[in-house]
Amino acid sequence: MSQSTLSIKVEFGGGLELLFSNQRSHKVSLPSHVPTAPPDANTTSEQGKKESGRPADITYLMYWMRDNLLKEREELFIENGTVRPGILVLVNDTDWELEGEGEYVLQDGDEIVFISTLHGG
Amino acid sequence: MASCENPENGADALMPRTRKYDKSKICVKCKERHGNIVARHTVYCRECFISFFTFKFRRALEPYVNAKPDGPRRKALKPTGNLLIGYSGGIGSAVLMDLVYRHYVHPDSTIVTSEGGKAHPRNERVWEKITVCYVEVSDALPGTKDRTTEIQNVIDQMDGVEFLPIRLQDAFDFAWWNKRGFCPSDPTLGADFSDELLQVQATLTPDIPPLTALRLYLASLPTASALPTAVQTLVRLLLQYTAISMNCSHLLLGTSLTSLAISLIAGISQGGGFHVREEAQEEWLPNCLDTGRAVRIIRPLREIGMKECGVWAWWMHLPIVGREKWHWPGTKPGIGRLTKDFIIGLEKDYPSTVSTIVRTCGKLAPKGDTAGKCVICERPVQTGVQEWKARIAIRASQDEQATWANSSTMTPSLAPYLCYVCLTTFTSKGARAPPPLYSDDSDLGHGLSPLPTWTTSSRLFRAHGTLTVTEDITPDEDEFTVARKLPRSEMRDVVKEFLLDE
Repeated sequence: MSQSTLSIKVEFGGGLELLFSNQRSHKVSLPSHVPTAPPDANTTSEQGKKESGRPADITYLMYWMRDNLLKEREELFIENGTVRPGILVLVNDTDWELEGEGEYVLQDGDEIVFISTLHGG
Repeated sequence: MASCENPENGADALMPRTRKYDKSKICVKCKERHGNIVARHTVYCRECFISFFTFKFRRALEPYVNAKPDGPRRKALKPTGNLLIGYSGGIGSAVLMDLVYRHYVHPDSTIVTSEGGKAHPRNERVWEKITVCYVEVSDALPGTKDRTTEIQNVIDQMDGVEFLPIRLQDAFDFAWWNKRGFCPSDPTLGADFSDELLQVQATLTPDIPPLTALRLYLASLPTASALPTAVQTLVRLLLQYTAISMNCSHLLLGTSLTSLAISLIAGISQGGGFHVREEAQEEWLPNCLDTGRAVRIIRPLREIGMKECGVWAWWMHLPIVGREKWHWPGTKPGIGRLTKDFIIGLEKDYPSTVSTIVRTCGKLAPKGDTAGKCVICERPVQTGVQEWKARIAIRASQDEQATWANSSTMTPSLAPYLCYVCLTTFTSKGARAPPPLYSDDSDLGHGLSPLPTWTTSSRLFRAHGTLTVTEDITPDEDEFTVARKLPRSEMRDVVKEFLLDE
């Protein structure tokens, strides 16, 4: 039987934490599947509308973070449905390019790291 | 039948997205472990990535440590002076500092394998003194934050390394300049940036505070793109003069492959094609000193992309302070910012292209002869810059021509002694003037702009404190050039015997 929520550790490096309350590490619980009905119009992501019911992946996590954790300037985190160029993503210490990028299906206990190489300058 | 027309669906033609790694997810080096990172299509595990990373760093630095390059046999590293590291607070400089510390200050046995035992000459400390220099720019750029204390806290964690904070206005501080034992500089000299000839006059008050001088200088710039170029030049020259004053033989900068590609493309876009070699590596001799002692400027991360630097910083738990954007408030992004956005976006999907940019620029050989060094940026000046610029651009309005016609005085000009980049930085105006850089701009006054200390103390200005300079700055000339714009009528007189009847 699949779990209804996933416990994920999200970490930020390279100054990206400044967009997320200046907190480097977050423990988040999110649905294991993309909800079919959005809670309200404001928090509905484009992804959620299009592909509700699919298993939660990193793309969903990104939009979930945008809606629940991000404090300012969305455009510095998400661009064209993925992370902004210059932000690296590690899934359990492995480059997300080896794991399918945004399509990687999240597992309970995963550690996802977002590292900015663009801090300032 | 084949058609040359656009496809019917009308969609934009996009390069197909390819897989980010070449073969399998197994490390290409050990061929055993599961990969942890993809670096330009190549998969490495964490252990092999660390050795790959340090190898690239050493390969870009160590052949240039000894005064003469190594032959086939690797010799012990014996630099002729100390080491200065330029620290910006960005990820590149943090990674560079970490690598230098792990290799040459307190060798980290997990990444550096010692050869021949501790007492072997090869394992002696390479640089006797290592200083980290940070140039704070916040006083000059509105809305930026002073990060000196944060950076000091980071560097203080590293024993065996000295920290030296300086400020951007030191470039206009004659006390700072004199304290470091450089030749005298004339604080009364300034240039008129509103005039294309950049006429020089000795009418500034000598006690003008350095910060005011810096603000006057930056506020005189004609475009938003000129600001980061001017600040970058000031920072680089401050680092270089600090290095020479501290008997440093080497200056290391944390420019990664990605940053280098950005600076090369942005530099070329702003007329810096003649400086592509210096942008990658440089053997710098100051204009104002005759010591013959050079500082070798090396970018040891020039073969390592920003992505790899980011992963290294994460795995090594490096604190990243961050650096401020050098942006002119109220203006659109300049050439540097647009280039950065383009290259970073390109690197995400086509990482090898960024490396290709740098390798291609490495093969370029500047065309034309060199006529000395620029008195502002101290990089080579290409001969015939002004003549070329005069041929390709409309440079004056009717009103200005009238002004020249009335001008009978001959005033020394800075323009012949500038490289094309600096000349463009100071004189190329946009279609619309940028808003005032400082809200209290009216207090700064608008007249002559002060010049950096190294400019007014260069050989150009060093003829006994006067503008009548007799020492050479270009190989072909023994005298100071006095330039004057000719009005059209006067030009016509000069060539009238060759003109055809209308």
